[in-house]
Amino acid sequence: MRIILMLIKKEFLQVFRNRLLISILIVAPLVQFLIFPFTADYEIKHISIAFWDQDHSTLSREIIEHFRHSSHFIDCGFIDSEAEKEEALLHDHVDFILQFPPHFEKQMVRGEESQIAITANAINSVKAGIGSDYIKNVLTGFFESKEEGTPPSIKKMTSISINHIHWYNEKMNYQNIMVPGILVILVTLIGSYVTALNIVREKEIGTIEQINVTPILKWQFLVGKMIPFWILGMLEFIVGLILMVFFFGISIQGSTTTLLGATAIYLLVMLGLGFFISFVSKNQLQAMFIVFFLFVIYVLLSGLFTPTEGMPEWAKWINFANPMSFYMDIIKLVILKGAGLREIASQVLILSGMAVGINIAALLSYSDKIN
Amino acid sequence: MYTIEVHNLTKRFGSFTAVNNISFQVKRGEIFGFLGANGAGKTTAMKMMCGLLLPTSGTARIAGYDLKTESKQIKKEIGYMSQRFSLYDDLTIKENMTLFGTIYKVPKQELNERIEGHLTELNLMKHKDQLVSSIPLGWKQKLAFSTALLHHPKIVFLDEPTSGVDPIVRREFWSLIYKAAAQGVTIFITTHYMDEASYCERISIMAEGDLKLIGTPTELKIQMGVNTIDELFTHFVNR
Repeated sequence: MRIILMLIKKEFLQVFRNRLLISILIVAPLVQFLIFPFTADYEIKHISIAFWDQDHSTLSREIIEHFRHSSHFIDCGFIDSEAEKEEALLHDHVDFILQFPPHFEKQMVRGEESQIAITANAINSVKAGIGSDYIKNVLTGFFESKEEGTPPSIKKMTSISINHIHWYNEKMNYQNIMVPGILVILVTLIGSYVTALNIVREKEIGTIEQINVTPILKWQFLVGKMIPFWILGMLEFIVGLILMVFFFGISIQGSTTTLLGATAIYLLVMLGLGFFISFVSKNQLQAMFIVFFLFVIYVLLSGLFTPTEGMPEWAKWINFANPMSFYMDIIKLVILKGAGLREIASQVLILSGMAVGINIAALLSYSDKIN
Repeated sequence: MYTIEVHNLTKRFGSFTAVNNISFQVKRGEIFGFLGANGAGKTTAMKMMCGLLLPTSGTARIAGYDLKTESKQIKKEIGYMSQRFSLYDDLTIKENMTLFGTIYKVPKQELNERIEGHLTELNLMKHKDQLVSSIPLGWKQKLAFSTALLHHPKIVFLDEPTSGVDPIVRREFWSLIYKAAAQGVTIFITTHYMDEASYCERISIMAEGDLKLIGTPTELKIQMGVNTIDELFTHFVNR
């Protein structure tokens, strides 16, 4: 016990004397929190749209006016020929072109079929998809507002409308997803990266040899490394949580204790991973490369940027070995949905299993002898 | 009574034999010089004796314990000073000593007294709160030696402890060695300086993994018909 306390003290003394590490620990979360949530946003705000009115009727003009008054669209004026249309799309001047065919109004009034052509510049597929939805919504809204005097065919067309209600994130505010996601990234980085580099550094400068020649037990050394970085990770998480609640105004729907408990377990997984990597790599460069490699895979598969449900089967299988995806689940469920311990029990169990497994692997891979 | 008994110790790295079947004994309280050129296998042999490196074959008893089966006990009884300074640069002199003393389970009160004793002896008392990264190499080496002695080991392994330090510090260092030996600590030391070899009670010379010679400096000079240890050394290294 005295030995472990001494090792913890030693680690903290070193951490607080390492200006670079301290600034990384302080600056990293701030920068991530201040930049990431604002830039990683799927909401489309500025859609430029041009009109090709071949009808020149009251109806077509009314519809165009309607678009011009919508805040989602930037009016790019009119075009008048196929050549102009191509030109505008080719040079990315517009995202959408709304084309009214000749006799549009006449056909509509007669109850015949007529079509408005929506041409999307799909170089940005997300924008094209979401933009089309917006346009359909505006059209539907227009015809609904004209209820009386609307030809039956249009009524029929508009009688089916799709309503999106996003549960748990009603305003489709991407910060609600990104900010908890960044919390996950923070904890992951502190846990794996900082510990791995720390131990490999001891290997590089040779201090680990001086430790290995003493009668210290392997688990004592590991626990002495683990506790300080576990504490740092928890502190980092709590700071992140405070920023989330007070700066971004995202309240924790579930219990904070559950959140802290799950983080404590997840940190153990990441610390074990960091130890394991540091024992199998020869220098800081190798360790950094391995951590980076795993980290990219973890993040991409974690469901932060793309939903895990849409991934192919094999990716889902890989995800079973991805502690980050389980933790991401927990964080989202508890913060956004208010899930309790029962709902996240399976994820917590899996993470606990991983924590035990990876730390045993680390202990076994730690040899006090060079071979 | 021998405190180090090495029997047919061998270390191979792939097809390269770093230490080839060496055997020797060291008496308790002896200052034993382990000489050899760079790459002769001295450090490899020493690391095996300290339990830092697994021997390919052969056995050894260190401080009465078997190297293979009782390495934990051996570690309690030995001190080790690596070729490369390996105390913590970002800890102070006193923090380093406290850390290692604690790991060796020296009782707290006792440890503080020993640290104070060593620091007074080294004239480092007023620098005890200085970071190790900021002190000169000579101090670092003396500090490393004192730290290796904190838990009162039976044997201290010193791997080129005086390389790179000035002659005055070397002399001071050797007086520390004599003092420790006088208290019954066995000193196992590698060195490149031939004058230092003559301070040893017995020396051995290693070349290309083999142990070529072993004996007191005077015996060996007579045996090989040379006047200085320097000649003795060049004789084996150039062969």
